[in-house]
Amino acid sequence: MADRIVREKGLVVRHSVVELIEHWAIAISGLVLLISGFFQMPTSNRYYITSVPGLAWSGDFFVSLSVHYAASVVFIAASVYHMVYHGIRGDRGMIPQKGDFKTSIAVIKSFFGKGEEPPFHKYLPEQRLAYAGMAFIIAMLILSGLVKTYKNIYAPDLPLAVVLTATWVHNIFFALFLLAFLAHMAAIALKPNRPMVRGILTGAVSLAYARHRHPLWIGELEKGESPPFPAEHTPVEEMQRAAEEGAVEDRDLVREEVQRETAEPVTGNETAEN
Amino acid sequence: MSAAALSGLALPKAARAGDEKRLVTLIDLSLCDGCPGRELPACVSACREINRDRIPEVAASIPMPWPRKTIEDWSKKRDVFNRLTPYNFIYVHRADVEWNGQKRTLHVPRRCMHCDNPACATICPFTANHKQPNGAVVIDQDLCFGGAKCRTVCPWEIPQRQSGVGIYLHILPGLMGNGVMYKCDLCNDRLEAGKLPGCVESCPQKALLIGPGKDIEAMAEERAKQMNGHIYGKRENGGTATLYVSPVSFDLINRTMQRKPGQPDMQPGVKRGMAGTDGLGKTVLAAPALGIAAGAAGAFGWLSRRKSEVKKAGEDNG
Repeated sequence: MADRIVREKGLVVRHSVVELIEHWAIAISGLVLLISGFFQMPTSNRYYITSVPGLAWSGDFFVSLSVHYAASVVFIAASVYHMVYHGIRGDRGMIPQKGDFKTSIAVIKSFFGKGEEPPFHKYLPEQRLAYAGMAFIIAMLILSGLVKTYKNIYAPDLPLAVVLTATWVHNIFFALFLLAFLAHMAAIALKPNRPMVRGILTGAVSLAYARHRHPLWIGELEKGESPPFPAEHTPVEEMQRAAEEGAVEDRDLVREEVQRETAEPVTGNETAEN
Repeated sequence: MSAAALSGLALPKAARAGDEKRLVTLIDLSLCDGCPGRELPACVSACREINRDRIPEVAASIPMPWPRKTIEDWSKKRDVFNRLTPYNFIYVHRADVEWNGQKRTLHVPRRCMHCDNPACATICPFTANHKQPNGAVVIDQDLCFGGAKCRTVCPWEIPQRQSGVGIYLHILPGLMGNGVMYKCDLCNDRLEAGKLPGCVESCPQKALLIGPGKDIEAMAEERAKQMNGHIYGKRENGGTATLYVSPVSFDLINRTMQRKPGQPDMQPGVKRGMAGTDGLGKTVLAAPALGIAAGAAGAFGWLSRRKSEVKKAGEDNG
């Protein structure tokens, strides 16, 4: 994580370059996989998709399989990279926390004008839940897809039960992946979430938005900006260093803050800021 | 492997008792005479008898598939025996050739080759088609949607569709699926019960034999050598579990065949279409290792950078 406040530009860096590459590698290859996966069903010729200019290849099962394989190399490598890289670094910001489900319901209600949003940390509780859901779907797709690929190349006579399971896990999670993708698109279309789109495109969101909606995150970043360490160190690195040295576990503090501040109106944070 | 077994008596049991489960069929074209004097060749009538009641009753009104309106209904043409249909899994092609200056007639039984790596099975989107450990490639008619992908990827376009039957009728019949695909299943049920496939058992000329892969392969080589002949099915489509042995070259036999729906040709050396995807597939299998290596390299790079930064900061402040 490279989170830091760039005051002169009024921005907060939310995602590192590595994270942006991970996201877009998985997103683009995932989209290609959805489409080429759809062409694995004998639908392209029947629905005249082969007549669409530029899509004649969709009716050739060996070509669409090659496209599917090529996209899965990127998809699998990026997903595994994500797990290993952030696993070793100890990034846990997107792992669901206790109470996320309950808070998510409150947040969704607030989208429809019922009640106020609680103040957020870097990620919304439903982002953490959606992340876990998407990670599970992707893991199942990759595992079943690897079995299917192995069967295609080396073992067409794998036990029927294994192949049937892999096939149906792949088919069912294909449908869930499509639904999860549509839900993801719907989520960023919601007005309160739109400022985050800039984050996943450029890596940074506006400081004003972050102050208003993610005060816990900004609070943590600002806390980290103070000496003794020079400003180029990211606060999270310092947090981790502090944690390693046996200092206070910051996240616990933050969690207490959430509990304390949930009861207060959001505007309270803004005034406290000044 | 005893001679009695190969002659086609106790063979499947013997085959299952051995180390090798994979069965291979031998079709000796020097022996097949097309069963003159019979209304139908013996293999064809035996196959038809065994599979007579296989297809359930076809819907009175077959749903019209949308948007491409293709219905394949053979239920009123069940008698057709000179090509592959959902009701006819084997037929005998008559090949009149001129070989070494002499006119000669060969009879070529045609059915599913039961390929070693059958694309029809491996890329069935519902695994309704699967290669069994004994080598039989079997379509489960209760799972098949009749999309005919298997026929498209088969170099001989063997599977045949019967519209108006199967699971698709209960889901979205107008939009998804179009019946059930049918083809020879090597009489897998009979093999499991210790019996021989109908075509093998019924052949009066013993032109068809079945046995453990290695034995039949050796026998095919031996017979081909003896008749200074040729083998088909050994390398075609990446290898199959059906070996034709013929005194006449298959190139010549192929020239007597006009490829039509339900009437495959016999192009020597026909390539396995899916082989072209194997390289990328192997890269897919290597992708997790690639991800682990890159992820670990990235993370440990970050760790060592952080360490030196912290050290430097410590020096600056100390």
